[in-house]
Amino acid sequence: MLSFISFWRASAIVLCDLASTAYYIGGIVEQAVGKSAPWFIFAVMAFSYTIRAVYMESCSMFVRGGVYKVVKEAMGGTLAKLSASALMFDYVLTGPISAVSAGQYLAGLLNTLFPHFRIGWHLDPAWFSVAFAIAATLYFWWENIKGIHESSDKALKIMQLTTVMAVVMMAWCFLTLWLHPAPLPPLTLNFSPEALGWATKFGWLRPVGAVGIVMAFGHSLLAMSGEESLAQVYREIEAPKMKNLERTGAVIFVYSMLLTSLVSFFAVMIIPDSVRISQYGDNLLSGLAMSVVGPHWARLLLQAFVVGVGVVILAGAANTSIVGANGVLNRLAEDGILVDWFRGLHKKYGTTHRLINLIVGMQIATILLCRGDVYMLGEAYAFGVVWSFVFKTLAVMVLRFKDRSPREFMVPGNIRAGGVELPVGLALIFLVLLATAAMNLITKKVATISGSIFTVVFFGVFVYSEHWNERHHEDAHASHEKFNLREEVDLAHVHGEFKKANRVLVAVRDPGNLLHLNKALDELNSDKTELVVFTSRIRTGLALVEEAVTMDHDEQKLFTKVLEAAEKHGKTITPMLVVSNDPFYAIVQAAQAVGASEVISGVSTKLSSDDQLERLAMTWGSLQTNGRPVRLRIIGPGTEHSEVL
Amino acid sequence: MSWFQKDDAARSAPLNNPTPKGIKISSLLSEDVILYPPSGVDKAAVFERLVEAVCAKAGLDDPAAVLAKVLEREGGISTTLDTGLSLPHARLDGIDALWAGLAVLKTPLSDSKHPDLPVRVVFLFFSPNKREAFPLHLQLLRGVASLFQAELIEKLSGCAGPAAALALVRQREV
Repeated sequence: MLSFISFWRASAIVLCDLASTAYYIGGIVEQAVGKSAPWFIFAVMAFSYTIRAVYMESCSMFVRGGVYKVVKEAMGGTLAKLSASALMFDYVLTGPISAVSAGQYLAGLLNTLFPHFRIGWHLDPAWFSVAFAIAATLYFWWENIKGIHESSDKALKIMQLTTVMAVVMMAWCFLTLWLHPAPLPPLTLNFSPEALGWATKFGWLRPVGAVGIVMAFGHSLLAMSGEESLAQVYREIEAPKMKNLERTGAVIFVYSMLLTSLVSFFAVMIIPDSVRISQYGDNLLSGLAMSVVGPHWARLLLQAFVVGVGVVILAGAANTSIVGANGVLNRLAEDGILVDWFRGLHKKYGTTHRLINLIVGMQIATILLCRGDVYMLGEAYAFGVVWSFVFKTLAVMVLRFKDRSPREFMVPGNIRAGGVELPVGLALIFLVLLATAAMNLITKKVATISGSIFTVVFFGVFVYSEHWNERHHEDAHASHEKFNLREEVDLAHVHGEFKKANRVLVAVRDPGNLLHLNKALDELNSDKTELVVFTSRIRTGLALVEEAVTMDHDEQKLFTKVLEAAEKHGKTITPMLVVSNDPFYAIVQAAQAVGASEVISGVSTKLSSDDQLERLAMTWGSLQTNGRPVRLRIIGPGTEHSEVL
Repeated sequence: MSWFQKDDAARSAPLNNPTPKGIKISSLLSEDVILYPPSGVDKAAVFERLVEAVCAKAGLDDPAAVLAKVLEREGGISTTLDTGLSLPHARLDGIDALWAGLAVLKTPLSDSKHPDLPVRVVFLFFSPNKREAFPLHLQLLRGVASLFQAELIEKLSGCAGPAAALALVRQREV
């Protein structure tokens, strides 16, 4: 069954990535730019609203409107592979930075608690966080091997818990500031030597004030890492898709704006300067919890709560990074960029386990290489984030000129001049991103070196893999989904699996003729009606008996189109393939097995609608064991023939 | 012995009978349109004689034209079912009711279209060639296919003649 998730679940998945940055962004940015960090984090979070709009416009054009797809459509395969490589760098680092940060928080809490319990231990935060990060990554590896739906359940629970923590923490911080007013953080920049990177070699940059602002903005940009997950979850969002995407975007914007920005301000305003970075640089919210007003035991409890939630949400971000990277690599594999072997489905769970293994393998290697240094991970992290946004925004802008068809959503700020609509808003977003990305190349040594190496290596792998595919498969670029078939000897076994009162069966055969399916999806209320999308493989004689149940090329092509249609509508369907010696018997048997009250078919190129209905009526009667009425519908372009039997 | 028999009392089903359950299939039949063809006849001959019988009952004066219509339809998608029931039919201009006849074959007919599907019962019918009559046409197809299952067909083969066959159909339909 192909099912879809609510905008709350979608928001939870994205927020697990986006909102988790609140736990480490403040420490990383302050180490780079000084006490003005919250202002730049605030600016980045405000700017994320425009990135959200870019993603919404791309999703309005493509259901699977991630960076790779959009860049490819706009600027071709080479740049698309390059942007996907940068994005993979983002995803591969998202997991480790989140999981290592969680380990840092936990180590900080345990080291605080040990003396209270008269335990003489002291954990090395770096190595403890490495061990914890590996354990968390392996846990979510297994969750993803089992399937995303369970993961979205967990994401929702994590965000519910985080919301409680955020409300408690903010209320406590406001109370603290009410009792002990503190000034807002200064707007002066104080870059550390590491944060200037190679910029020290360009002395002429120093007098230009705007350069410093762009540099600081670049150091804060990782605060909005996670927006790409918006495109990844779009295909999973239930109908009405665009409206639900807007809701998802609004939820994640408000949430991350409040949590990430406010917490950063509170940290600078409440935690004493003497301990903020030296003691709490890698676990800033623990420092905040221990610096608010109240008795020691209450602050200790707050810290424990903050750390508990932090461990869960940061581990959740590690999960989201696996889900997102898996989604990107799946698109690449579908497009023939990765060899088909990677898309092999897990026998039991039907997930692309080899891709998940690859991602998790790279993440564990990263965790070991960073040796628990969150700042180093943060420095490297922004490379993938900013370059994938640059490519994406440029692509959406190019598509404005390349594809002038109407969109469900457009980034605002368009000016019509001489019959041409100029995407001024998009152009401004692009310029900000490009300037930031270029500045980051100079200032973020670790990011530039590691990001470039990773991107080049991944790009090389994609290019080689694509060539290999082209040499070995004629249809290397034909994009087909992988399906996990569950075999049933008798159709009657599936009846009990349909719980909704209404059941509709749509018979499909030709991937180019799915008008009737689209109409059925338009009308479908997924809450009340099961939609079974059915096709039959016609075999006779021994071939019928000995048929191996694997999808052939045509069936994969057909069901890929079916899946795309269902994703576009955001409606739940159950695909079904039956091996039979007669297509009409197969349709009727399947419809009666699922208890369908409606059977929908497309117009045939060989038979008239009347002939189709006659044959269905005869077959229905010969197989019927009860007197339940059924509506037969034959739907074609501008025509529908419907009869109740 | 002629296998053409008539029963003037037979009635056709009215069109304002919308539901499948409302069509009394046995009411469309009478002994004069129930045939037991001798062994050795082919499908074309069975169809021809059945058309003649039903035309005679319906008062249609050009059986050849009606047969041509039936055969034209037979050239399209199959009207034979796995149960051994063949459902030849035609939608005719100039009639306002359903007319039907039945042929029970002691020796199954072979069908060139489906050599592996022997025909044991032929239920032939005509329906009005009007859009509003099409639902009833479909309901009759469904109803007949539902009624003439393998077990009934087996029993019909064992009947002594049209009267017994009609009684059996009536009994099964109750």
